[in-house]
Amino acid sequence: MKRGICTVIHRHDVLIIGGGLTGLRAALRISDAGLDGAVVSKVHPLRSHSVAAQGGMNASLGNLEGEGGTKDSWKSHAYDTVKGSDYLADQDVVERMCRAAPTAVIELEHMGMVWSRLENGKIAQRPFGGAGFPRTCYAADRTGHNALHTLYEHVVGRKISVYEEFFVTSLITEDGRCIGCTALEIMTGQVHGFLGKAVLMATGGFGRIFNKSTNALINTGDGQALALRAGALLKDMEFVQFHPTTLFGTNILISEGARGEGGILLNKDGERFMERYAPHSVDLAPRDVVARSIEQEIAEGRGYDGGYVHLDLRHLGAERIVERLPGIRQIAMDFAGVDPIQDPVPVQPGQHYSMGGIDADINGETKLPGLYAAGECSCLSVHGANRLGGNSLVETVVFGSLVAARIIEDVVNAPTPNDTPAKAAIKSVNDRIEDILRRKGGDRFFNVRDAMTATMSDKFGIFREKQTMQDGLNEIKKMQEQISHVSLQNKERKVNQALVRFLELEDMLFLAEAVARGALAREESRGSHKRTDFPERDDRNFLKHTLVGFRDEKMFVSYQSVTLGTFEPKERVY
Amino acid sequence: MASPRYDTFEPEPRPGMTVLEALFQFQERLDDSLAFHYSCRGAVCGTCAMLINKVPRLACRTQVETLLKGGLKVSIVPYPAIEETVPWNPQEEVLVEPLPHLPVIRDLIVDMDMFFQHYRLIEPVFKPLTDNAERERTMEPAAVKKLEVYTNCILCAACSGACPVQGKDPRYLGPAALAKLYRFHIDPREGGTSRLKTADIPTGWRACEFFENCSRVCPKGVPPRIAIAKAVAQLKKEKKRGQLNSN
Repeated sequence: MKRGICTVIHRHDVLIIGGGLTGLRAALRISDAGLDGAVVSKVHPLRSHSVAAQGGMNASLGNLEGEGGTKDSWKSHAYDTVKGSDYLADQDVVERMCRAAPTAVIELEHMGMVWSRLENGKIAQRPFGGAGFPRTCYAADRTGHNALHTLYEHVVGRKISVYEEFFVTSLITEDGRCIGCTALEIMTGQVHGFLGKAVLMATGGFGRIFNKSTNALINTGDGQALALRAGALLKDMEFVQFHPTTLFGTNILISEGARGEGGILLNKDGERFMERYAPHSVDLAPRDVVARSIEQEIAEGRGYDGGYVHLDLRHLGAERIVERLPGIRQIAMDFAGVDPIQDPVPVQPGQHYSMGGIDADINGETKLPGLYAAGECSCLSVHGANRLGGNSLVETVVFGSLVAARIIEDVVNAPTPNDTPAKAAIKSVNDRIEDILRRKGGDRFFNVRDAMTATMSDKFGIFREKQTMQDGLNEIKKMQEQISHVSLQNKERKVNQALVRFLELEDMLFLAEAVARGALAREESRGSHKRTDFPERDDRNFLKHTLVGFRDEKMFVSYQSVTLGTFEPKERVY
Repeated sequence: MASPRYDTFEPEPRPGMTVLEALFQFQERLDDSLAFHYSCRGAVCGTCAMLINKVPRLACRTQVETLLKGGLKVSIVPYPAIEETVPWNPQEEVLVEPLPHLPVIRDLIVDMDMFFQHYRLIEPVFKPLTDNAERERTMEPAAVKKLEVYTNCILCAACSGACPVQGKDPRYLGPAALAKLYRFHIDPREGGTSRLKTADIPTGWRACEFFENCSRVCPKGVPPRIAIAKAVAQLKKEKKRGQLNSN
């Protein structure tokens, strides 16, 4: 085949970009409505990062009683979520999620997902950080794995089209409407066009812009970058969650479930330091609080050399560890050579989740007609300034389904897209790829990536301050310039992973700037965004969402009000 | 397909370095055309199974230093795909080759199509006995424990790459698909007709020769061999009963 000569255009009613929990849940609903939906994913769906989710999925099933015989409710779930968000979440969206959560969990059960069970046979629930009840439904510490495999089985059963290992390269628009995308088929190097009456972005987070991240290596934020370039907005990108307990060395996640089951954090002096920072919730305070506390212990010299503390599970006993946390134990043994039954696990905070994402309303509609977003790549916003553990999994399936429902309604009246813009888009992507492959000399682009991840972790990490962030932004701008000069050795079209990783890096540098601009402009501390120069929350000036747009080759910041509701902003005490 | 080529790289050592990390070093510093599959780097997504020192394993979970020190020994029954291809010194080198029994696309990337065709063939979709959707069905914790043994499969295909029968006959459904089928068979929430019949074909349960390589290389401790043995025994019993009834 000659390079890029053949033009292939695939047509479906709905295109779903991303094959994780959100994408697959949406695909099932769209298929059940009798529509032809297709999943386009840069990896096989089962390799999506959802598969790594450990701890669980929040839903007020009330299978266990709370303190003093109280019963959980969607309202308690909503309250905890809003408080956890430091009041930045939109309360109407939170309400919608918390009301739908129990149904979403039961739906998965009905699809055949295997959940851990209580003695009475009901779905097991465990306590998680920032939650007033044991609300987190789990499948040992492999909840994401069990859920993703179950959804994929149904996708296979319904014979839904899946384009595996297709890296989406641009969104196609016509008359201000998103009508599809182009994608590079990684194995052949060919650029394909995809047309649909609606496009759902479900591509997950962008953790890999940081150098210490729990995220899969594929989490490069492609969806957010595509949406921003095509005219959608990004929201609250400065709110990046740092998980308190990632394995020292590789930053593989050690689930909050470990503390939910009774694990405690100890500094180098053997002190249970969380008693000082969160006297009531102690080790189960929300993630932003615990991550900051660990970081402070380390900064003040009470961590171990290299910068970590201990997560001690030994008092739980071998039986409980083996039954409830088998995956964690395996990870600790495989990747740190530590058996948690015998020794404490070395942990440090690491990037874990992107609260921000593609700006979308309660139905997942973005500012670009025809484009929808759900799951971690989106910001509707249910997590506000800090996400509670167990809320991301529930968000994926609840909004995967609800946003699909809106799409099903909307496509009835949507126009059938034309081939012409798709052909032009394919040509433009082909030209761009050829241009990249033609380049000679210059630095290795992997060096630029290493510089970016270091800058983001050092200057936009757990503690932030104006001058360092300004320096960081300047560095990122410089790197964006730099990568237009770097070249690849591999000049082939087929199976060119260097090309894919280069395109991912372009996206990541783009998003890094959005994070930086949002963070610099937000002169307060809220949730995960901690400014040492503005240590207090400032509701008068910043109880609002940050929006980042891209126009005339420039990013601009604006704001949007938060939808409040039942829960008035209060000081957050744990 | 061009004949295979072997290159030798020397990684910059780091304590705890995995084979996957070493591959990234090569790709990023020496040869950016080196091709291999990756995703989670934490042994949960099942993407990076390859033949490492003649044993199918996940590259992300296999530490270079441990291999060089003679650790991570897995004893498997020899089969053609793991015969010597190139001499190497296991004290100083790690030999990394594509997962056997699947067509090589490039370098360490194999085409998983056949593997997933078998997966589809066993109809891996839950078929519940009852389905009035409002409530969760209850389940004994003990039943969950039995199921988990099989639902833990990450479909990495290491078992398939280690299976001598798979090497002889690519049409064999293979350990992963059969274990998946067994998982549905023992799910107490399922009902209706026996799932076992789906693989009661010459390339199904009966093709297994019980080498047990599958269970030995599984990174998640899934025992397809046990599933297959139980299925074969049950089918035999059912057939006997059927003959008795018809007599």
